Amino acid sequence: MATISASINIGSDISSYPIAISKTMTMKKAGTIIGLDETLGLKTKKFNSTTAAEIATAADLTNDGAHKLYVRNASTNKANFFYVAYHATDAGAATAETIGKLYGGDWMLMPYNGSTDINVASSTTDIQYLEYMVFADGVVAAAG
Amino acid sequence: MATTTATVSITSNDLTPGSALSVSASSTLMKAGLTTGLNQMESGVMNIPTSIEFRLGPLATQAGPVADNTHNIGSYLYICNKSTDNTYWVDWGIHETMMGRLYAGDWMFIPWNASDDDAEIEIEANTGTNSIEWAFFNSTVALPTAAA
Repeated sequence: MATISASINIGSDISSYPIAISKTMTMKKAGTIIGLDETLGLKTKKFNSTTAAEIATAADLTNDGAHKLYVRNASTNKANFFYVAYHATDAGAATAETIGKLYGGDWMLMPYNGSTDINVASSTTDIQYLEYMVFADGVVAAAG
Repeated sequence: MATTTATVSITSNDLTPGSALSVSASSTLMKAGLTTGLNQMESGVMNIPTSIEFRLGPLATQAGPVADNTHNIGSYLYICNKSTDNTYWVDWGIHETMMGRLYAGDWMFIPWNASDDDAEIEIEANTGTNSIEWAFFNSTVALPTAAA
C-alpha cells in the first residue's frame, strides 16, 4: 500500500468575500482505506498536430475502479488548448463527448472509473506539451 | 479583472520506491483563449440522497445570451465529497456516461464544457446520503429566466 496525497488550493477575488478553497485527499482503492499503489507513470507528450491521442485506456485498467487522472497543459499560451474527451477517437471540435478544454497552464484531476477511454486533441499545429498520469486502482495483467 | 488561481500538489514517498513523486501545478483561470480572468462563480453545499441522478450546474441555455454548442467557454468545476464514511461515494458523469466515483473525502477539478446540454454534469449518491461541496468558475453563465 502506498500513500498518495493530492492537495488543491483555489483562491479568488471574484467576489467581495474571500474565496479560499483548500482540500487534501489521500487516494484510496474503491470503498476502502487502502491507498492506491499502482500507476501507469507520469508522461509528457509533444503535440504538433490536431490529431487526437488516447491518454488513458480503459482496457488497461480495472473496470469501475477508483482511479484518478491528472492532466496538465504544460504549454503557456492561453490562446491554445487541448480538448479532453471521453470515448471519441477524434477528441477535437464540438463533440458531445468533450469534457472540457485545457488552456495553456491549465490542469485537471478527476476520479476516473476506467470504463471509457480518455482522448485529447490539440487545438493547434503549434507545439504544445501535455503532461498526464493515471493513478490506478488496479492495472490489468497484460498492461503496464 | 478578477484573479482566480488553482494550484495542485500531488506527492507520494512510496508509490515509486526510490523516486519520490512530487507533481505540482498552478493555473490562473482565464476566459476562453484570453488573458482576462474569469469573473463569475457559483457554489454550494448540497446533501445528495441516493438513487436519483441530479444535474449540477447550468444547462446550455444558461451558458450565455444565446445557447450554442460551440464548446467555447472557459469554465472550471470543483467538487468535493464531504462525506466521511469510506463506503460512501458519488458517481459523476457527463450526461449518461459515468466517468468516475468521488469517494468520501475525494475532490475533483476539471475544465468543463458547460455549453452543451449533452455535457451536463450528473451526480448520483451511493450507499447513503452524501454531502458535496462545489464551485463553478466561468464567465458567461446567465441566470435562469424567471417564470412569466
